[in-house]
Amino acid sequence: MAAIVETDQLSSRTGGARVGLCDICDIRGVSICQEFGPREMAQAESTMARRAVARKHAIMSEGEPNDSLFVVVDGSFLLSKYLEDGRRQVTGFIFKGDLMGVRPTDKSAYTAEALEDSLVCTFSHHYLNEVATSAPGVKDRLIARGQTEYHRAQDHIVLLGKKTADERVRSFFMLLAKSVGTDPGDGRIEAPLSMSRQDIADYLGLRLETLSRALATLKKIGFIEAISRNHVVMNI
Amino acid sequence: MKKQWLKYLDRQAPRYTSYPSALRFDGSVDAALYSEKLRAVDLYEPLSIYVHIPFCRQLCWYCGCNMRVENNYDRVRAYVDALLDEICIVGGVVGGKGRIANVHFGGGTPNILVADDLACILDAIERELGLTDDARLAIELDPRLMRKGDARMLAELGFDRMSLGVQDFDIGVQWAINRMQRFEMVAECVSDMREAGVDDISFDLLYGLPKQTPQSFSDAIDKAISLAPDRFAVFGYAHLPRMIPRQRMICDDELPGVEMRAELAALADERLAAAGYLQIGFDHYARPGNALAAAMGEGRLHRNFQGFTDDVAETTIGFGASAISFVHGVYAQNDKDIGDYQRKIAARTLPVARGIMRTARDERCAAAITRLLCDFETDLGAMFELTPEAEQRRIDQALAALERDDVIRRRGAVLRINDGARSLCRVVAASIDPWAHTAQKATRETAKAV
Repeated sequence: MAAIVETDQLSSRTGGARVGLCDICDIRGVSICQEFGPREMAQAESTMARRAVARKHAIMSEGEPNDSLFVVVDGSFLLSKYLEDGRRQVTGFIFKGDLMGVRPTDKSAYTAEALEDSLVCTFSHHYLNEVATSAPGVKDRLIARGQTEYHRAQDHIVLLGKKTADERVRSFFMLLAKSVGTDPGDGRIEAPLSMSRQDIADYLGLRLETLSRALATLKKIGFIEAISRNHVVMNI
Repeated sequence: MKKQWLKYLDRQAPRYTSYPSALRFDGSVDAALYSEKLRAVDLYEPLSIYVHIPFCRQLCWYCGCNMRVENNYDRVRAYVDALLDEICIVGGVVGGKGRIANVHFGGGTPNILVADDLACILDAIERELGLTDDARLAIELDPRLMRKGDARMLAELGFDRMSLGVQDFDIGVQWAINRMQRFEMVAECVSDMREAGVDDISFDLLYGLPKQTPQSFSDAIDKAISLAPDRFAVFGYAHLPRMIPRQRMICDDELPGVEMRAELAALADERLAAAGYLQIGFDHYARPGNALAAAMGEGRLHRNFQGFTDDVAETTIGFGASAISFVHGVYAQNDKDIGDYQRKIAARTLPVARGIMRTARDERCAAAITRLLCDFETDLGAMFELTPEAEQRRIDQALAALERDDVIRRRGAVLRINDGARSLCRVVAASIDPWAHTAQKATRETAKAV
């Protein structure tokens, strides 16, 4: 179920002024829109929708059709699917600047649920295909720029192939650092943790207790300097 | 039991914990074919894990399992090392794919292992194949080896399903099978498990044991019910002294005859039903709230090497001597001999000794037989599409005889076992199994159907 707040309600985020949303977008440099010229940019702004997705709400649901490409402007998402035995499998995390729904589908292979209050830009594939007729290859180029759910699926295969719990946990934090880490200037990397410990354990194929033990080890060797429920400081 | 059914009681029928039955396994499956199948496991494919611990403290004379009496823990420890290596070899082939739904420790006696070794095995499984908190961990236990605190230790390791080998509470019967265990000891064991929060406790009972009488077995069942386990498995003892030397310790003339066997089985049915247990398949019983009962209610009951199960994972990876794996249509069984098994592991090879690859026809027979045993009703349509006409005629004739005897009802391709005749369902299964006769002729390994 998607909880979609129309763009107007976001005016508080933009200070109430009617500036073009794209002008103030802080991921524009790394995102899809980099591929647009000024004319396409104007067109994009008129045909895309910016949506707020409340925490715990899904923007795509497994088995449901989807005809939109989503660019995560702010926040993060958990990708999951249900297995034949009814259990949920966490298949990946989507961070700020990432893309979801890169191929239109009648039956989405996964559910994308917001881990925190998030903001996405929504482009219809129909419109992107139109743009592609006047600018061939633009769709492929823009998809190639970002991390998509397909990249995240690849990340998961690599992670699950790691042979120790410590290695798997360390690789996860490296991924987090690369995706959402910031360097406050002293060489350390800080990153928000929007997912629960249980989500991380499920994603890594580990028991919660094993994850806790691995975190303790990584703290002991100094890889993790500090970790709280929703924040981590690393020395990489 | 109707008079015309008595003749079926002496029929031999496979237990159908696999299809094709293990009797048809041969050298056609080797390590290369098995690893090819393991490599093809999907990223999120549900997996069932079986770990075989082939050691016991003491010999029970009825036992037909692959086990050996071992009182030197160094040798047990060497076997655990081989298990850890095997898990590592398989993990290397599977490459992190698959998602474990169930882990089952069977034996032998898994609780011959010390806590550290059980923990090591679980850690290896987690490291090599992934193990999350939502997986169910089951273990078979010998109550005679359970010390105070063991149930808690096992629960802390994550085991949430425990099954106790009870067999019978009658002292005379216990003496005749060389398995002495007092009722009070089992009661204490159950109370420790409950205290540790275990909410899925299963008892194994055996009928057809030497010196058993309807009176003694009835008392034993009542005692078992008084301990209120969540489920029961009631198996018929298979007396095959020519195949299993240890069973020669049991005197043939102390064994109940076929009719009394049927009476004992019916007694279990009756008593457990009266105590509120639901019959699951032909030899399991569960309280209405139990996961197994829920699976039956929802038509998702399955059959695997452990018997009837709510485990939906089709793919099973077995570890240890004689363990059987089933991956994408291929059954692969490890070496039975512990020494051979350990030598192959030491050489870093998968210890596959034999197996069978299912054909398309086998698949359909397997589906028809599984539904028959789980639901007492099955549709032969899909199976008949791939069955030669001559074979179909033979099956039709066999089913016509069963229908005349009131064992089944048949409407077109759908057949249903009549309510009172459920205990004969393996006989019905064998009659639609094109391989049952050949298997019977070839060996005496199959057990009495009731």
